[in-house]
Amino acid sequence: MSRTLLRSLLELRATAPRPSTLRPTFTTVTTTRSLHQTPSQIGPPSPTPSQSSAPLPPSSPPNPSSLPPRQGGAPRTTSPATPQTLQLLPLLALQPGNKYLQLYIQGQAYLVTPGDQIRLPFKMPGVSPGDVLRLNRATAIGSRDFTLKGSPYVDESLFECRAVVEGTEAEPMRLKIKKKQRCRRTKTVRSKHKYTVLRVSEVRILVPEGQAQGQQQ
Amino acid sequence: MAVKALKAVSQGRNGVGAFILQCKRIDLHYCDWAGSSRGMNGFIKSLLPKFAAAHPQIEFTISPRPAKHPVAIGHYINGRSKPICVRNMEPYEILKKLELLRDASGEKLKKVTKPVRSINESVRGIWSPYHGNGMQL
Repeated sequence: MSRTLLRSLLELRATAPRPSTLRPTFTTVTTTRSLHQTPSQIGPPSPTPSQSSAPLPPSSPPNPSSLPPRQGGAPRTTSPATPQTLQLLPLLALQPGNKYLQLYIQGQAYLVTPGDQIRLPFKMPGVSPGDVLRLNRATAIGSRDFTLKGSPYVDESLFECRAVVEGTEAEPMRLKIKKKQRCRRTKTVRSKHKYTVLRVSEVRILVPEGQAQGQQQ
Repeated sequence: MAVKALKAVSQGRNGVGAFILQCKRIDLHYCDWAGSSRGMNGFIKSLLPKFAAAHPQIEFTISPRPAKHPVAIGHYINGRSKPICVRNMEPYEILKKLELLRDASGEKLKKVTKPVRSINESVRGIWSPYHGNGMQL
């Protein structure tokens, strides 16, 4: 099975355009602590990544009934995988070596493998060191030879990615000297940003029971 | 740093198997007389018992340091320490500083430009022109 064939099959997964006002949550906390990602912390709606709005081949028209029903204002989950994807997923899962994920956190992509350290460009509110986050937005899952691309996100039931909050880091103090011409006075502006550091502890590809006998790391 | 005779065979990746908090000890120093320690004394009386009970993995030591400003010093697994002077601070401000000490890794602050740090090999390998099907011209 060549990679191009896989890609072409996966492109059939293009779903119906989704409303841009809804933005999926990016993390769910799986510890006993309460859910930190309250709706008020979710930023203002921003346009979702570019929809793959290429004309669909007539053989696979978009099936609106396959999309999950929307419940009043709740963020929509990722679109479910098509049968072709499920059929080809074991090929990806059976490949030796690490898998990589293109994660999406707050609109920024991170290409990670298990064991990597992510320094987020912000301080995540409400988390403390040792918390485990389940990251469920990825635009691509890949192995050595195959890549599963999402449109825009991969079905969250096909993979499992967990990250541990390592702590909060800061950058060295930034000093910006403000000086106007022909004026002796200078003003020094100081700033020191804080960043949350995550460690990707687990990446698994979940193959549904009907598709393969076992699931692989 | 001590001289290392043996080179480490593996690099630690905290959180991949077990997670270990990097802060191992926090020293708190206060003065009974000086006014700059007023917030620190209130913190030790009111907020510290709860904070210390919530963090059994950190050792808290409290000792007087007369005629000096109050200070909180965090000690880390990597051997470094991070002292913070907490003079004239209110108890809740000092609590914020202790949370900073708890969340810190103990490393020196560095400017990081790349968000992902990895020691894994590339998943897809290095591209080679001599393998694969080639390109039709």
